[in-house]
Amino acid sequence: MKRELLDVCVHCGFCLPTCPTYVTTGDEAESPRGRIYLMSLAERGETPIGGAFTEHIDSCLGCLACVPACPSGVQYNLLIEAARPRIEQEAPRSLGERSFRRLVFGLFPYPRRLRVAAVFGVLYQRVGIRPTRLLSRLPARVRALESLLPPVRVRDLFARTPRATPPAGSARRRVALLTGCAQRVFFGKVNAATVRVLAAEGCEVVAPRGQGCCGALSLHSGRDDEARRFARRTIDAFGDGYDAIVVNVAGCGSTMKEYGELLSDDPAYRERAAAFAAKVRDVTELLAELPPIAPRHPVEARVAYHDACHLANAQRITAQPRQVLAAIPGVELVDVPEAQICCGSAGVYNLLQPETAEELGKRKAANLTSVKPDVIATANAGCLLQIGRFTSDGTPIVHPVELVDASIRGAAAPKGG
Amino acid sequence: MALTDLRDKLVADLGRDGVIDDPAHLRTYECDALTGYRVVPALVVLPRDAGEVATAVRACAEHGVPFVARGAGTGLSGGALPTADGVVISLQRLRRIIEVDPVNRRAVVQPGVTNLDISKAAAAYGLYYAPDPSSQQVCTIGGNVAENSGGAHCLKYGFTANHVLAVDVVLPDGTPTRLGGDAPHQAGFDLLGAFVGSEGTLGVVTAVVVRLLHTPATVRTLAADFDSTETAGAAVTAVIAAGIVPAAIEMMDNLAIQAVNEAVDAGFDPDTAAVLIIELDGPADEVEERFAEVTAVCTAATRVTIARDAEQRARFWRGRKAAFAAVGRLSPNYFVQDGVVPRTRLGEALARIAAMADEAGLRVANVFHAGDGNLHPLVLYSEAAGEHERAEALSSAIAELCVELGGSLSGEHGIGTDKACSMPRMFSTDDLETMKRLRAAFDPAGLCNPGKIFPTPRLCGERPGPYRPHPLESAGVIERL
Amino acid sequence: MKPATLAELRDAVRDTDGPLVVRGAGTAAGWAGTPLPGATEIETTGLDRLLAYNPDDMTVAVEAGMPLTRLQAELAPHGQRIALDAARTPAGATVGGLVATADSGPLRHSHGGPRDLVIGVTVVLADGTVARSGGHVIKNVAGYDLGKLFCGSFGTLGVIAEVVLRVHPLPPATRTVALPCDAVEAVDAAGRLLAARLEPVALEWCDGSLLARYEGGPSSVERRAAVTPGTPLDGAAEAKAWQRVGDVSEEQTVVRCGTRPDQLPYVAKHATRVASSVAVGVHTVAVAGDAEVERLRAEFEHVTLCRRPPGSDLPAWGRPHTAVPLMRAVKQRFDPAGRLGAGRFAPWF
Repeated sequence: MKRELLDVCVHCGFCLPTCPTYVTTGDEAESPRGRIYLMSLAERGETPIGGAFTEHIDSCLGCLACVPACPSGVQYNLLIEAARPRIEQEAPRSLGERSFRRLVFGLFPYPRRLRVAAVFGVLYQRVGIRPTRLLSRLPARVRALESLLPPVRVRDLFARTPRATPPAGSARRRVALLTGCAQRVFFGKVNAATVRVLAAEGCEVVAPRGQGCCGALSLHSGRDDEARRFARRTIDAFGDGYDAIVVNVAGCGSTMKEYGELLSDDPAYRERAAAFAAKVRDVTELLAELPPIAPRHPVEARVAYHDACHLANAQRITAQPRQVLAAIPGVELVDVPEAQICCGSAGVYNLLQPETAEELGKRKAANLTSVKPDVIATANAGCLLQIGRFTSDGTPIVHPVELVDASIRGAAAPKGG
Repeated sequence: MALTDLRDKLVADLGRDGVIDDPAHLRTYECDALTGYRVVPALVVLPRDAGEVATAVRACAEHGVPFVARGAGTGLSGGALPTADGVVISLQRLRRIIEVDPVNRRAVVQPGVTNLDISKAAAAYGLYYAPDPSSQQVCTIGGNVAENSGGAHCLKYGFTANHVLAVDVVLPDGTPTRLGGDAPHQAGFDLLGAFVGSEGTLGVVTAVVVRLLHTPATVRTLAADFDSTETAGAAVTAVIAAGIVPAAIEMMDNLAIQAVNEAVDAGFDPDTAAVLIIELDGPADEVEERFAEVTAVCTAATRVTIARDAEQRARFWRGRKAAFAAVGRLSPNYFVQDGVVPRTRLGEALARIAAMADEAGLRVANVFHAGDGNLHPLVLYSEAAGEHERAEALSSAIAELCVELGGSLSGEHGIGTDKACSMPRMFSTDDLETMKRLRAAFDPAGLCNPGKIFPTPRLCGERPGPYRPHPLESAGVIERL
Repeated sequence: MKPATLAELRDAVRDTDGPLVVRGAGTAAGWAGTPLPGATEIETTGLDRLLAYNPDDMTVAVEAGMPLTRLQAELAPHGQRIALDAARTPAGATVGGLVATADSGPLRHSHGGPRDLVIGVTVVLADGTVARSGGHVIKNVAGYDLGKLFCGSFGTLGVIAEVVLRVHPLPPATRTVALPCDAVEAVDAAGRLLAARLEPVALEWCDGSLLARYEGGPSSVERRAAVTPGTPLDGAAEAKAWQRVGDVSEEQTVVRCGTRPDQLPYVAKHATRVASSVAVGVHTVAVAGDAEVERLRAEFEHVTLCRRPPGSDLPAWGRPHTAVPLMRAVKQRFDPAGRLGAGRFAPWF
């Protein structure tokens, strides 16, 4: 927590209405301004790490909605990333807290382990024992874990992205695709759609083997060393020779664009990391760059687009996904109330702070369904899971690239499950 | 002892979740947007509805504990500065829009609703809430009532006081009452008018009835560059003298433009000495006729950019409204000043401010509501370089200069803590004592936001600054008896 | 007593004992209750100077006893006016009197009343204290706004000695359109005119006609009038129509009341004549007798009695609204001995 970064905050409060935890609690300490104030006090040694400090830093979703809202240019992303490790290092957590965190961070970044867990989960759902009464008495965290599981088939969990896919026609770009960890397990169909769309738009798509977690979950939870380990491995696994590194998960993309800073103290990786980061593109970003060549078929649907925080706030990508969606004939894009408020997913936040996440999830679902969309589109795995959990009216929730895929293939818009 | 009892009582009535007493947590409430003054409160309460506000106020009154209402904490005069051993009553959980009534063109809202959210809720009916302080996306209507907030468009539309029909308040003894009525006609004195702008010293607002206006049929906006602030000021006078009442006339000088351009993509010329943003709104014919007159008056401008669409207009305003905070990019620290001069003395005021800044060796950026003569000089300084005192002195001197020129210490930010000691420059002892009679009628125990507006020996030293005659008084136009 | 300077006024208050009653031109002497007999009268009409006027600043300071018509005559050559058109103005009403009674006319639709135009006051309290509030600039939040507090105080809190007002430009052109309609239709028609965003400067329903007045550039005014339903009035007819609005205040029993705008039909059913600023919900109501006043008071909270026939024993005020205890507290602090305007505000005070 660097003094000069903290001092940029002039306490004007422009961040308050964008902050999900402030909007729900009305408490100054649950706002970016309040959190920066606590960081500032801690930096001066006026308040201990732990107690209120831990409570209010932990409760930050890291959605970064405050960053574009800040007229003074406070780099809250750097501040929160610096504050979290202090807690991990200096403020002992309870045994239960530590065990749960170990479980989460030992599971999600590892596709193979996650797949095994998910198989059990799906089978458990199949058996049809979702005893709601019992369920409602489980601790909120376990309930969150349980109910996040999307309606997938066991077969889906093992879907694989082909190592290389040739472009339709001559190649305009050679790109590498991050297949993700949770993404790969739960949203194989999004990866498949991404590959099809990119190929149709003249990209040679490579899915490098040996890639694992990009490190986003760890970085956003103050587990810096772990994040750096994942980052180095990702850089190694991808190697060189691509025009772009394509990501279809907003949280991963934002972290990978920061690899340069993350590994800036590592002489062996510093330059490679910066070069790697410069090539990272969200899939919607790349599609907006490439003039469409594949013909689009009409997809008649009212689409509510939800800005994933790590796309809109961390990467400042808001126009491109809308542009890509609006280019589909028949699609009507509708504005959603409280668009800038996070859905509560925020990486593993919904597992660590389930009550707030639940409140935000319900709020987001209500706002999205209030505009009566046929489809909800959002470009982040976590948002897809979270919104799916709280949208009860069966409105299908898809990644924008799935709609583009449907349009290119001439298929109907995805139906609700 | 009283505080322990009070805390227990508040926890019992408002719930654990509604009372903050953790020391680190309390510190996040120690200041509003004016961070130069900090006092840690003994307790913070977060009531959920009007009933809980009344409960909290009554409990404070019964225990003889002072209390301060707080909205979004965006105030720039330290108006929500806590009192030590006192309670902060945050109204941030009273955020419901109770009713939007399109037939009668009004809305009933709780005090924690933001200014902009009222307009958003009214938009479905083609209506909006007119006063638009620069912090409108954050600041709450409760705070607007306390400060009688203005904004860029108050040149044509007036201030909060002109747009509030009624307020539900909890008086400092805990009694709920309503001031104002269903229409701008009250049976009796205008207590509502006296309450709006009383800086939270007369009671705590729990609901506000605001008038809504139809959004104007046409809005035309231009940004005109000038080679000096004086020529820009002359253009302002010329527009007003032509009998035109624009919706807004804003000015920014070069330093402010630099800050704004860094913060948002507003598209102002970084090399111009001053820019005027002039906006006209109303029926299409009327606006077009008048807009032609305005552009004709701006002949001294080096460049005139007419906003071609809503997007470009929004960019101008984004730039203007982000200006205060954007100055954070030019300087590690700065004071935001707020004073008013008669519009015809704008040029003189700016020249004298520039001279004072030179003398102090500090930079001053100017962003202001030129049509109203409402200056917002931003005094840039570095805490680290030990410039704090010099900057503070310059800032105060600028406010007092405004009084000397026949204006006011504050156009919209309020007196609060910041300028209480300067009040004797503008008002005589009898003036202030008369105002205190009003305060005593509302708050005989003096528990409601004490220490604000009026100079106190503790704040100002034993001898507040001496009264200086108003220029009209010096000129023999008015007499001070 | 008829002081001619602020000092004389201060002395007149300070150096006398016993009850006082303030009088301007006497055009609203019967409003808000009858002063108790025996009070010494302080007449403000001797305080009638223009104190400061700089047209480019669009503010003017006057002594309270100046008649508004004379002030308007001072401003007109500079293309300016006070945007206040209370019905009693032609009868000689003073600026101070209009403030003390919070009186206004049809321009309230766009400009509000005295509270919205007064930017500073000098008052003399019952103990001779001379106090100023506000100032000479339109935008000003320093200190409490005593100017607003004194609006509607009817001389019971202090004597208004000086008033600083904001001025507005005189419009280059005006045009009024009259639309015959009943009270229910008037509410709807007013709503539609506003929704059409034609921005009338006054919108008054009187004697079965909705009058919409436009001000502005000549061509804009004519075009707005042309798209307004009803008949555009020529000069003489226009003056006559607005004269009728003013005449409502001259009836035998007159009250002013404030309601939600859509309540006009409920107000009108008690009235013999109404001049209603229909979009803001402020109505000047002539009624047949005291019983109708009581009925209005039973339905609406903010009713001010303006005129009653000689000999009527109708109380000036009805059931107290929730802020009346606070009014009493303010009165107590400003005039603890109850010297000023005793009898006004009876039975509330």
